[in-house]
Amino acid sequence: MMSAEALATERRIHVGQGEHHVTSDRSVMLTTILGSCVAMCLRDPDTGIGGMNHFLLPEGEGAGTDAGRRYGAYAMELLINDVLKAGARRERLEAKLFGGGRMFASLKDVGVANADFAERFLRDEGIPVVGGSLRGTGGRRLHYWPATGRALQRAVTDNHVPVSAPPPAAARDSGAVELF
Amino acid sequence: MPAAAAIHVLIVDDQLSMRAVIRSSLQQLGFREFREAADGEIGLREMITKPAHLVISDFNMPNLDGLGLLRAIRAHPPTQGAAFIMLTGRADRDLVQRAVQFGVNNYLVKPFTVAQLKEKLEGVFGPLT
Repeated sequence: MMSAEALATERRIHVGQGEHHVTSDRSVMLTTILGSCVAMCLRDPDTGIGGMNHFLLPEGEGAGTDAGRRYGAYAMELLINDVLKAGARRERLEAKLFGGGRMFASLKDVGVANADFAERFLRDEGIPVVGGSLRGTGGRRLHYWPATGRALQRAVTDNHVPVSAPPPAAARDSGAVELF
Repeated sequence: MPAAAAIHVLIVDDQLSMRAVIRSSLQQLGFREFREAADGEIGLREMITKPAHLVISDFNMPNLDGLGLLRAIRAHPPTQGAAFIMLTGRADRDLVQRAVQFGVNNYLVKPFTVAQLKEKLEGVFGPLT
């Protein structure tokens, strides 16, 4: 439970689509809203340095192809490089993955493609996934505290997600997540 | 007109995923001979052991970064003739100028397309077959 003092000094930073943010400030909470996009939350538990990105693989011509992988690998690299530059050690990095929801039942499931890519990327890079919640249906509002690694997600059914989202069904949770 | 298949390439990047996409892009352009290194230090050892014709290297890497690798390759006579293409996360003018000063042949900004990679390679080798 957070103290009133900690809450009063907490700084919220929103991470929009295509953006990433890295911090070593213990008072920072990173937030984002995810539909079919995926956010990687990454931190070094020894230093508390960490960050979040928010990416979407290209749709259309680039979907599921090398072009998609080239873009995705780059989006991940930006966050990893900045976390390392801030003083984190690569061998200590741990990640949580969120998002990749299915937003329209009738359309191609781009959320699953994003989730599959993120899991494969972290497996290939040898970065352990210590929690998160991927796939399922609908949007998520995500809060992440890099200093502690705590993550909270809430289903979003209003118009905060850029497409109309059906009520969320159970996503496959992999632990270490608090729902709020 | 050099045949892409005859050009031996060393891919240097600390991310396995990025090495895989570079390799796959080169394969689409007809390249067949690859070696990989996970940072500049390993890349330099690879080059000293067996020089490649072309080095495609990331800039941001642990141990020895892309600029350090480029300088070391240019300072070592058996490797100094290798073509060197630097991958950068953004079009950083200072970095490009320093790389040019140290003898880089071309640079490519990530995320790149296969067509952009081909253009940079042909800028170095001429039309590829």
